[in-house]
Amino acid sequence: MSGIGLKAEFLAQRGRMEAEHGPALIGKGPGVGSAAVAIAGVALYVVGLYALDISPSRIWHGLGQLGLIFALMLPPSTGGHFALYLDALGQTLSIAFLGTLLAAILSLPFGFLAARNVVASRVVHVLARRSLDTVRSIDVLIWALIWIDVVGLGPFAGALAIACSDFGSLAKLMSEAIETADRKPMEGVAASGGGWVMAIRFGIVPQILPIFASQLLYFFESNTRSATIIGIVGAGGIGLHLYEQIRVLEWQQVSFLILMVLVTVAAIDFVSRRLRLAIIGRRAV
Amino acid sequence: MLVLSDVTKAFGKSVAVSGVSVSIPKGQFVGVIGRSGAGKSTTLRMINRLTDPSQGRITYLGEDVTALRGHKLRDWRRRCAMIFQQFNLVGRLDVLDNVLMGRLTHTPGWRSATKMWSRDDRAMAMAALDQMDIAKLASQRADNLSGGQQQRVAICRALVQEPEIVLADEPVASLDPRNAKIVMDSLQRINRHFGLTVLCNLHSLDLARSYCDRLVGMANGRIVFDDVPAALTESVARELYGLEANEVMAPQPAPVPMDLRTAITA
Repeated sequence: MSGIGLKAEFLAQRGRMEAEHGPALIGKGPGVGSAAVAIAGVALYVVGLYALDISPSRIWHGLGQLGLIFALMLPPSTGGHFALYLDALGQTLSIAFLGTLLAAILSLPFGFLAARNVVASRVVHVLARRSLDTVRSIDVLIWALIWIDVVGLGPFAGALAIACSDFGSLAKLMSEAIETADRKPMEGVAASGGGWVMAIRFGIVPQILPIFASQLLYFFESNTRSATIIGIVGAGGIGLHLYEQIRVLEWQQVSFLILMVLVTVAAIDFVSRRLRLAIIGRRAV
Repeated sequence: MLVLSDVTKAFGKSVAVSGVSVSIPKGQFVGVIGRSGAGKSTTLRMINRLTDPSQGRITYLGEDVTALRGHKLRDWRRRCAMIFQQFNLVGRLDVLDNVLMGRLTHTPGWRSATKMWSRDDRAMAMAALDQMDIAKLASQRADNLSGGQQQRVAICRALVQEPEIVLADEPVASLDPRNAKIVMDSLQRINRHFGLTVLCNLHSLDLARSYCDRLVGMANGRIVFDDVPAALTESVARELYGLEANEVMAPQPAPVPMDLRTAITA
């Protein structure tokens, strides 16, 4: 068989190969360094479990209580407030939609400012980066509390809270997508006489648009859930009702509300998958 | 002996390959020629089973390869190594790791996934690179290499698979003439030296004539010519390539555009 001849011939040169190309042949694969990192990671995890007093026995004892709550949730019931809940769900959806949209509009210019391959000035991009970090490091719940103090209780504060916290994350993701974008199309546009703006407009924007669209759709879906949470602190929407019903132990209504959110998120996921495929489809091979 | 009998591939309504039957004895250097869209790539990809035929059978040494699944399919793919027009290397891995991809079927999963290749495998990969004169590039990242170097890495990957057949899909179409010659010479060397069967899709008739033992011409998904290169007359070539015939055959002075001609004489 020819195949065996091939192997024999190559292996006959093993000695010479190892003598001539030793450094390139050795020191590959996971070395001592990666093993040490892995061990350190596991150790840190164990220390964390110990420090936070996390023990399996506590989960085990709580399981009975969890089962009881599940039993109390059945069957889900509207408690006669279906119209009210539907209205609140609509409010939650609009908080998520308006918040995400505002975040998207703000994030695009900042994404470009924070991208190293677009903005030559180090000062500008470091400043953009640090301010994004600052915005991002404040959680949506904190933003909600801040905005409630500024504009009062209600969905407006909720939308602003979502816009603020997600603007930071979206802009960071965009700047990273821009930095990993292929430089060649930009060069092509520049070589055809296009200026800096046109090189970005036609060299980079078409590349990041599908990534941006799919991030945005995911953020909208995720924000529908976040909007539920910030509703609890008074930023409007279905979260407020959810919190009320949990407080008065109306588990049947709680499960109904949860189901409403579940169906909504599933519907958004379904639609966003279609939209994303339509956007990517044009570029697919 | 590799035998294709009545192989057909349809993508939806468009038929890419239609009723192709051909036998290829061991050790032959076969050039598959024809214009783009004639079904050459699809035929090669069906042999490696990257594409499944809609109808017909492909057998090798009497074994039906169209029916292979799982482990046996992977082993068949090892035996018929594929070389692509765009090289299909993993750009972010270094050259040696790319070549070692050819040892995947010979290596247990846990070893290859952690890149703990055996000394023998590494030495084999390095010897293959050495034979292609690119051993010094072993630790470079694949996407830093030129097209000609990348294609030679791809040939090394094919070689360490210990294949019996090499399927080359337009291996030189993205390369300049000098690199094209280097790659074609390498394919010829492994054909002569190791007795491997080579099936090579080519666009250029000149290359096909000078390297192949036998030419198979395809047009519109069918085989329209199958003979030694010497039998390929100009009229057959015209039938195969139509208007492109002049481009793919012997070098002739390129026609000078009209306005340039007047500019020169003026």
